[in-house]
Amino acid sequence: MIKFENVTKRYPGGTVAVDELNLTVPPGKITVFVGPSGCGKTTSLRLINRSIELTSGRILVDGRDVTSVPAVALRRGIGYVIQHGGLFPHQTVIDNVATVPYLLGWDKKKARARAHELLERVGLPASFAKRYPAQLSGGQQQRVGVARALAADPPIMLMDEPFSAVDPIVRASLQEEFLRLQQELGKTIVLVTHDIDEAIKLGDNVAVFAEGGKLAQLDSPARILANPADEFVEDLVGRDRGYRGLSFVTAHDLPVHPVPTTALGASTADARAAVRDQRWVLALDADRRPLGWLDVSQSDMDTVDTVESAALLSVGATFTGDSSMRRVLDGALASPAGYSVGVDADGAFTGAVSTAEVAQHLASQDRVSVEPL
Amino acid sequence: MRWDWIQNNLENIGELLAFHLYLAVVPVVLGLALALPIGFLAVRWPRLYPPMLATSGVLFSIPSLALFIILPGIIGTQILDPINIVIALTIYAGALLVRPVADGLRSVPDHVRQSATAIGYERWRQVLKVELPIALPFVFAGLRFVTVANISMVSVGALIGIGGLGELFTDGFQRNFVTPIVVGMVLSVALALIADSVIVLIQRVLTPWARAGRSS
Repeated sequence: MIKFENVTKRYPGGTVAVDELNLTVPPGKITVFVGPSGCGKTTSLRLINRSIELTSGRILVDGRDVTSVPAVALRRGIGYVIQHGGLFPHQTVIDNVATVPYLLGWDKKKARARAHELLERVGLPASFAKRYPAQLSGGQQQRVGVARALAADPPIMLMDEPFSAVDPIVRASLQEEFLRLQQELGKTIVLVTHDIDEAIKLGDNVAVFAEGGKLAQLDSPARILANPADEFVEDLVGRDRGYRGLSFVTAHDLPVHPVPTTALGASTADARAAVRDQRWVLALDADRRPLGWLDVSQSDMDTVDTVESAALLSVGATFTGDSSMRRVLDGALASPAGYSVGVDADGAFTGAVSTAEVAQHLASQDRVSVEPL
Repeated sequence: MRWDWIQNNLENIGELLAFHLYLAVVPVVLGLALALPIGFLAVRWPRLYPPMLATSGVLFSIPSLALFIILPGIIGTQILDPINIVIALTIYAGALLVRPVADGLRSVPDHVRQSATAIGYERWRQVLKVELPIALPFVFAGLRFVTVANISMVSVGALIGIGGLGELFTDGFQRNFVTPIVVGMVLSVALALIADSVIVLIQRVLTPWARAGRSS
């Protein structure tokens, strides 16, 4: 647990970077500091390991005032990941990862064995060990950065814009992996970002910082979206917060209904008979997994005798009871048939739901009743 | 060309060559030892950087012969003491190396410096193990230039009687005898080329990572 008590950072000249900050970072959770540039979020992060020294107030890590520990010892016990990875260009990947164990005086063999283990953990092949950072892509460098931070198995990790320097596709996959890793490791993590979407995706808690180093709101992502504390937070989360808030509502009790179905190789005449006056029929495979939508109103339907896979249009993203309503709604909006397709754990078709039905269901729910922190 | 003169004076030529190398290399080593802390301070306190560059520029603009002659008066050595040459060339080498050292240290990316601190390097260890190694390509570029420049500058010392291979030039000119001049020239050039190659070799061994980015 990390606790900020009335923490202020004032620079010579009077600039206040962090102003009377009170904040608790719970153990085993990801707490995201988010806000515009110059709001003190990075400064606050760097106060924790004393990369920057605070002016007044105190920071407790597991009950101990950080200033009561020598800075170097404190830092070696806290993992640190920075934008661009902060890797040492003159050292191989394996030595980069083993840096903190070396500093702690582990013997070289043990340190390297640990580093190898971590490379594997972050999904890098062992063949990368002997490479230099310049020979890796941005995303790979970032993984090495995470592996390095984990090397001495610190209970706390500080991450300063760790995914900002890579392209959106790589970023999304790094974020997914990061969440998976955190599920295994359960570290106490403080992550700084300027990207509210990233904050909402990654954070168990989100601390929104406003200009002048003030804390505007500390809450769960769902509550930040549902109940912004003030206009500043509302502006930051953006106009489509209602839609994004659906990420935190599951499709658990969403009613679905059957639609006409067919199978590959079935006769098109039968398929048309099944839909009666409608246009779309869902093709399923032998295990009732959805394959695609067939438009039976197509003019060339008369010339085709059987249902072919080439004629099918994509079902898009399917959903289960655990999926978010955002996924369900997006599935319906993106579907040619206007239906989002539900499946069970084995991927077999359970029923479909239209855009209008999703909206109706949402309207009937009291979605703001998310538990406060 | 009188080959027999070369044969008869082999021992003397060898001594001059060794002395030349000594006069050229020792100041480079001493100059580097001066330039490292000064360059470091100029990076640590950026306000020192411009005056430091200006000072090193002024120092380097003093004509070498003048410096060789003035120096004994200032530091109280004998006019014919080789230490004058060593000190004068050390001043030049130091002045020339401060900039590459400072630029090299400044080339260390901010995120690298920050993460080294945040990971738990002590200040001195961070400088020695992270910042200095990353600055090496700049430092070596400076070393190559300074070493070659020094090898040619040592010859000027011959005008005050201490010049290694330069003494072959003064000897040849005084006697209107071309062989020592040619020998001196060939050996100076060879010495410069070999010294440069040795430095490049050392650099390759010390900075294998610097080529890694390009070979991938």
